[in-house]
Amino acid sequence: MSEKKQINNSTLGVIKADITATEIDAFVFYARNDLKLGSGFGNAIALRGGPSIRKELENLGPLNVTEVVVTTAGTMKAKNIIHACGPKFQEENIEEKLKTTIQNVLKAAEANGIESIAFPPMGAGFYGVPIDLSAKITIDSIADYLAKGSEIKDVVVCGNDTREYKALVPKLQDLNKKAA
Amino acid sequence: MSTTTNGRSYKAQKVIDRMGQKLTRQMVGSLAACVHCGQCTDSCHYVLSNPGDPTFAPAYKADRIRKLFKKHYDWTGKVFPKWVKAGTVQTDEDLEELKDIVFGKCTNCRRCTINCPMGVDLATFNRMARGLLCHVGIMPEGVEYVAKEQWEIGNQMGVLKEDYIETIEWQEEELQDEMEDPNARIPVDKVNSEIVYVINPREIKHDPRSVLDAAKIFYMAGADYTMPSEGWDMTNFGLFNGDDELGGAVAGRVYDKVEELNGKKLVISECGHGYRSTRCEGPNWAKKDIAFDSESSVITMLKYIKEGKIKVDKTKNPGSYTFHDSCNNARSCGLTEEPRELLSLVVDDFREMYPNRAENYCCTGGGGAMSMAEYRPSRLKSAKVKADQLSATGTKTVVTSCHNCVDGLTDLIGHYKLGMDVTQLVNLVANALVVDEKIEENRKIHSAETSATAAQ
Repeated sequence: MSEKKQINNSTLGVIKADITATEIDAFVFYARNDLKLGSGFGNAIALRGGPSIRKELENLGPLNVTEVVVTTAGTMKAKNIIHACGPKFQEENIEEKLKTTIQNVLKAAEANGIESIAFPPMGAGFYGVPIDLSAKITIDSIADYLAKGSEIKDVVVCGNDTREYKALVPKLQDLNKKAA
Repeated sequence: MSTTTNGRSYKAQKVIDRMGQKLTRQMVGSLAACVHCGQCTDSCHYVLSNPGDPTFAPAYKADRIRKLFKKHYDWTGKVFPKWVKAGTVQTDEDLEELKDIVFGKCTNCRRCTINCPMGVDLATFNRMARGLLCHVGIMPEGVEYVAKEQWEIGNQMGVLKEDYIETIEWQEEELQDEMEDPNARIPVDKVNSEIVYVINPREIKHDPRSVLDAAKIFYMAGADYTMPSEGWDMTNFGLFNGDDELGGAVAGRVYDKVEELNGKKLVISECGHGYRSTRCEGPNWAKKDIAFDSESSVITMLKYIKEGKIKVDKTKNPGSYTFHDSCNNARSCGLTEEPRELLSLVVDDFREMYPNRAENYCCTGGGGAMSMAEYRPSRLKSAKVKADQLSATGTKTVVTSCHNCVDGLTDLIGHYKLGMDVTQLVNLVANALVVDEKIEENRKIHSAETSATAAQ
């Protein structure tokens, strides 16, 4: 399952996939403030990437909300992981913080020469941002950034299941309506 | 800690606001109806094992949640707040205190519910309260860990897809060895199957024997079945942490996969909360109409025996057995007679424990309690009543139809040194299988299927 749209010299797409198993320059991990990998995708990173990622993270935290750090991806299919400390659990000003976090991810990607990047629907799922809100902010924020011109060639947002994928697709399609 | 204009912490205000969105008519009925008669008190295993501590009484615990409803959402709390004990939460510390009650002093077993003359369903609004706290990030560490696994990996135990597939393939090799049939298969993602079989991730991580035992039964029955490569976890932590979104996402993954495979029937392996979540609660959480049938594997196995698809010999399971009803199977889903009928067909010496069926005591590991390490001492203390109940049966083995109960019972049996084993029906049925001339028919069928697949 996939959909995509051209924005300047970049593409923005939506796919249904396990973000930690994608073959891409970098994927975004929605990180804890203390940068501990924890469970969920953090567990997948630890198991598929090996101990080197955790070792790199030891000297990089803690992060404030909206801050990001980049590590290698160990033995995973991706080359890098962008650990993004987004807002969690209904904290104040969540929409603004999400937008800033996404911008910081894209800036960090450019600064590290990353040309393709996979995002999850930011903050959705365990951290409680409603999937429709997350899908809209994630897609719109990335599109706004790419519309100003970027060296990043490909961005995809990964729905972890059909429910997430179906929430993301209309938000991507809405971009076409806005453009028209 | 940030505060709102009324001096309440930001999180406390969010909890109160969220409560208003979660109050269903069923919930309001239970929050309003308690007359504090105390009939629930002696139904709770926490009370029975802690007789001197009134804070374990269901009505007391319920009042910690009820006071919020009275204060913020019920007219009585506005007119005469002191009479109805209306109260609020003001600080994050208040929320932490509430957390220890709703997660640490109740397993949502619903035994008090069926013993309440007013029909107050504490478990339902205790679950709601858990959900309110999780919504603002206040939860036991283990709950956080497991919920995130299921949200992001797709199962409660963080089993990666490659490990799941590898374990199925390993069990397939075991099946081929045991059935002496190189064509025996555990099919994965076979479309148009009569049965899509979903399991508890504990089976992959800690008990792959259960996968093999189910495969042997399906093999001997000549069943047309498949296991899905995704959406295979029929457990649902949303039932435990009160997160309806998680509940809907997890159940939705199972339903979506059955539809994608065009499966005719969903068969749910032995797990109380998984059965309740997938068969009973999931369609509401996922807001989805289900077009296929679903049933417990207990019923599937029973049908196979009754219809002569498999033969069993109960002498293969010597010893004495008792049966523990899972709370979710018995109290919430009425699955009480079929497991007993099946057990009686595969063992000779079955002895009831008392009380039983809907009145049975919780294994004390329910409601996600096994994931909350900080409450383990209290949980095991509350298990005294269960230990006494098991011990009184005089049996060597307790059978249950729930993986969670297997772990809960095993923990308390060790703690109280009861010297009993715990097993499930699938293990006993597989062990009792009579491998007769029918196996030759099955070998031919599987050989033909393998040839057909190779030719495609």
